[in-house]
This record gives sequence, C-alpha cells and structure tokens, in this order.
Amino acid sequence: MQTFILALYVLIWPLISLAIFAIIGIATVKDIRIARRSKRELV
Amino acid sequence: MNEENFYQFSTLTVLALLAAFYGGTYLLTLLIKKKKENTDAFMVSNHQIGFGLGAASMTATWIWAASFYGAATSGYTYGISGPLHYGLWGALMILFIYPFGRRFRKLAPNAHTLGELIHARHGSSSQLILASSNILGSIISLMVNFTASGALVSVLSPLSFQAGVVIAGVGVLGYTLWSGFRASVLTDFAQLMAMMAVAILIIPAVMFALGGPQTLSDGMSLLTPEQANLFSMDAILNQGAPFFVAVLAYAIGNQTISQRLFAVREDHIKPTFITATIGYGAIVIGLGMIGLMALMTGMEPIDGDMNNLIPQMVSMYLSPVFIGLFFILVIGSLSSTADSDLSAMSAIVMADVYGKNIAKNKPNPTKMLFIGRLTMVIATLIGVILASFSMDILIMLVFVGALWGAIVFPVIASCFWDRVTNTAFTSAVLAGLVMFCVARFELLPMVGVIAGLFELLAAVGGGVVLGLMAFGFGGRRVGLIVGALSAIVLAYFFIGFLQDYTVLMASLMAYGVSTIVCIGVSLMSSNKFDFTQINQKVINYDPAKPATQG
Repeated sequence: MQTFILALYVLIWPLISLAIFAIIGIATVKDIRIARRSKRELV
Repeated sequence: MNEENFYQFSTLTVLALLAAFYGGTYLLTLLIKKKKENTDAFMVSNHQIGFGLGAASMTATWIWAASFYGAATSGYTYGISGPLHYGLWGALMILFIYPFGRRFRKLAPNAHTLGELIHARHGSSSQLILASSNILGSIISLMVNFTASGALVSVLSPLSFQAGVVIAGVGVLGYTLWSGFRASVLTDFAQLMAMMAVAILIIPAVMFALGGPQTLSDGMSLLTPEQANLFSMDAILNQGAPFFVAVLAYAIGNQTISQRLFAVREDHIKPTFITATIGYGAIVIGLGMIGLMALMTGMEPIDGDMNNLIPQMVSMYLSPVFIGLFFILVIGSLSSTADSDLSAMSAIVMADVYGKNIAKNKPNPTKMLFIGRLTMVIATLIGVILASFSMDILIMLVFVGALWGAIVFPVIASCFWDRVTNTAFTSAVLAGLVMFCVARFELLPMVGVIAGLFELLAAVGGGVVLGLMAFGFGGRRVGLIVGALSAIVLAYFFIGFLQDYTVLMASLMAYGVSTIVCIGVSLMSSNKFDFTQINQKVINYDPAKPATQG
C-alpha cells in the first residue's frame, strides 16, 4: 500500500501537468482561430 | 565543483542547443514583429490576450530556474511535505491575486502598470515607491536567472560561467527587444509547452531509473520522523510559512504579474488565473519530487550544494537525451522569466517614469518606445554584470522582500477603501520597512517586552495575510472576521515562540506595521476619494487604438 501511495504521490504531478498542457494547447489553438476569424493579431 | 560527477556535453553540442533554443525563439517572434510597434501593444498587447496564451504566459513567468532548485532542495531537506511547501503556496498566490486583479482591471481598464493606478489614486510618491521596488526586484530576478544559466552551462559543458551568462543575456534581449511584451507572451507559450513536456517525461523517468516505486518505499527508512511526516511542523515553520508570506508580497508587488493581468482579456481573467495556479503547482511540486527521490536513495549533493541535486540526479540516472531535455527545461524557465522582467521594467520606465512623471500623461509614442527598448538594453547589461561577477545581492533581496511585504496592504486598501491617503500609503510603507529591518537584523535585543511586542505585531501581520485572502474571496465582513480571529489565535501561539524564527517574524511585521499605520493615518483624514477618477486618468498612449472593453 505504501509503495502504491508513494508512486501516486510522485506521479500525480506530471499527470496534472499533462492535463494542463492539453488545456492550454487547445485553448491557444482556439485563440489562433478566433484571431484569424476576426482578423486581429494573436498577441 | 566536481564536474566529473556530471555528464559533460561538448562545447559544440551546448552551443548548438543554445542556438536552437534562442534562434527558434527569435524566429517565433518574427511572426508578430511589425515595422512600427505601438506603445500599448508593446506594454500590454492592447489588453486582448486570450485564455490559452494568457495562462501559458502567467505560468511560465511565475516559474523561474530557482523554482526547480528550490522545490528540489525543499524536498531533499524536509522530505515528503517539502515539495508541497514550495510549490503549493507559490501556486496559491497566483489564485490569491485574482480577485484583487479583477478590481484593478475594473478601476483602470486601460492601465499598463499597477503604478499608473496608484499614481491616479495617490500621486507620484506612492507610485514611485511601487515602481522602484519593481525595478529593483526585476534586476535581482534578471541576475538570478542569468546566474542560473552560467551555472548550468559551466556544470554541463567546458564553457565558462561567464559565457553562459552572456549567451542568456544576449539571447533573451535579442528576441524581446523589438516587440516587448508581445514577444514575451508568444515565446512564453512555446517555452511553457517545452517545459511541461520535459517535466512530464523527466519525473517518471527518474523514478523508474531509480528502480521504481519499490525503491522509494525502501527509501522511507532513510527519512527522519519529521521528513516522513506530511504535516511536519519543521517544514511548515522553516519553509512553508516564510515562503507563503514572501510570495504573497511578490504576487501583489511584481509588475510581471500585473502586466499580464492588464493584458488578458477581462472575461478571461478567471480561467487564466485558475489554470496558471494548477499548472505552476503541478510542474514545480513535480520537479521537487526529484529532491525527495534523491533523499530516499541516500544521495548526497556534490560539495553540499543543494543546487546540484537535480543536475546530479539527471546526470546519474538518465541518458544524454534526457540531460539535453533538462538543459532546455532550465534555459526555458530562466528565459521566460527574464524576458518578462525586461518587459516589466520597460513598461514601468515607459509608463510610470516617462508617461506619468516626465511627459505628464502626454507622451510622444515614438520616444516612449525608444525609452522602453533602451531600458531593456540597460537592464540586461546590469543583470549580466551583476551575474558575471557573482555579486552578493542578499541585502538587496532582503530589502526588496520587505518593501513588497510593506506595500501589500496599502496597495489593496487604496483600491477598495476611499479614505486611504497618499500620506497614509507612504508612511505605512516606510514604517513597515523600518520595523522589518529592526526585526530582521535584530537592531534591538529580541528579549522581554520588545520581543513580545514584535511577536504581537507579527501576529497582526499574520492576521492581515489571512484576512486579505478571505476578503478577496469572501468580501469585507468575512475578511475582517478571519483577520481578527487569526491575529488573536496567532498572538496566542507567537508570544514567546516566534522570536526564534527571525525571518518569518520580520516578514510578518512588515505586513502588520504597514497595515496599522495605513489604517491609523487614513482614519485621521476625512477625505474621500472618488474611484471613477482613476479610469479618467489612466489612459492608452496611442490615440488611434480603441480603448479596451473595460
């Protein structure tokens, strides 16, 4: 049990990072599309 | 340093990695580069940054090279809870400034710096206190990041420390100089994506290279009872609490954060801050786990230098490809923070110094841009010089930390309470700073009545910190109740105890004293400020550009 909890404690952070990676990536693609559609600059 | 213990890249490989990183980043900025930039875009991207880029930029800016080393050191020193006491509090502070940030945007939708808002509220002296603390803070940050580059390059290659410092300085300046904040935000996105990808790979790679979860379980026997305790008081008092207090001041006082706050589209502030909070926490706590794993395998840092922990673990257990990825991870983190510091300083000098105090709100945009770019060049030179000579900046660091601690309450109160005056703001900051120095450097003997008084003031400071957080999310009544109750409870615990923790006591005193003086002096005046004046005074500097949807 201790082994499992320790593994989870270490690995949960890269998993959360992966989720945020996906969220930011998808949101930025949306930002790019909106900027193109409205013919304004991305930044 | 014993470089034989680290994997060594050839000079050519390191130069190729650096050229790929800075060359790629520069090429990316060519996508946005315009022959003629305007000042509002140069400082805050016309207040139109979307959620994805905003969250990426906020996260990348908040993560600097010291985040990895600090989190790993915390994990190695305090065990199980160590990485949490570094990363969690740093992350929560991003969330903490969100409600105040919304207020700042509401009051001054066209602002470029927090100093402009304070100038409209109080005038030049309060504004310049904020501006000068920001410039000092950003210079320190630049120096620390360039130093990290020098250290990394010298440890992993035959190149000298100074070469690493200069390459980072030139590389960051090269891609930020022309487009300013716009370049910073766009490259932050790419740098953060790279950092996250590397962190996602490196953390499990180190764990499995060590022998997997079973090795960690076996390593529990090497931990002291305090290190094995998730609720270790040692970790809370020596790492968590002082860090919590310090980053709160950093979050409110630092232009790199407020610049992004003013740049993100107003309807995207909330998701931006929440995503950045979680992203920062996950990356930094995760990399802190490498320090914990080092402790669990009984590894000793070379020369006793905790900054060697992560490079040592990566060198010992991973292949050269991963070492190259780690190299990019550190260069990406330090560059994203350094370019934010350059953009922050240029905005402060452009808006707070030139726009408000020299041109009196009627600046020449072309001249303003030139001043911004010149500021970047000078700041880079100072950062490179300070880093190259490894100058001792401890006093400067302590001083800036105290200044930021002392301005938190006056800044927030000025945006919510109409009775705060310029005199109250200035005297509160100065009083907080002086009392911080007395406590921090023990200018008075910390015994008897004096120690008791200081502990009481620190308890007030603790109440202010918790009260402000409660106020931000729960409103005035909740904030007052939480603040008062916290101060009473903390006073009970602090008396006769906190004098042994000088750093924490001094930091909390800066909050406590500045709050007491700010409230006291404000109550002596019957003036009431009309907050609608702020929006009229804080303007866009390019008349052709439309105002934001504030």
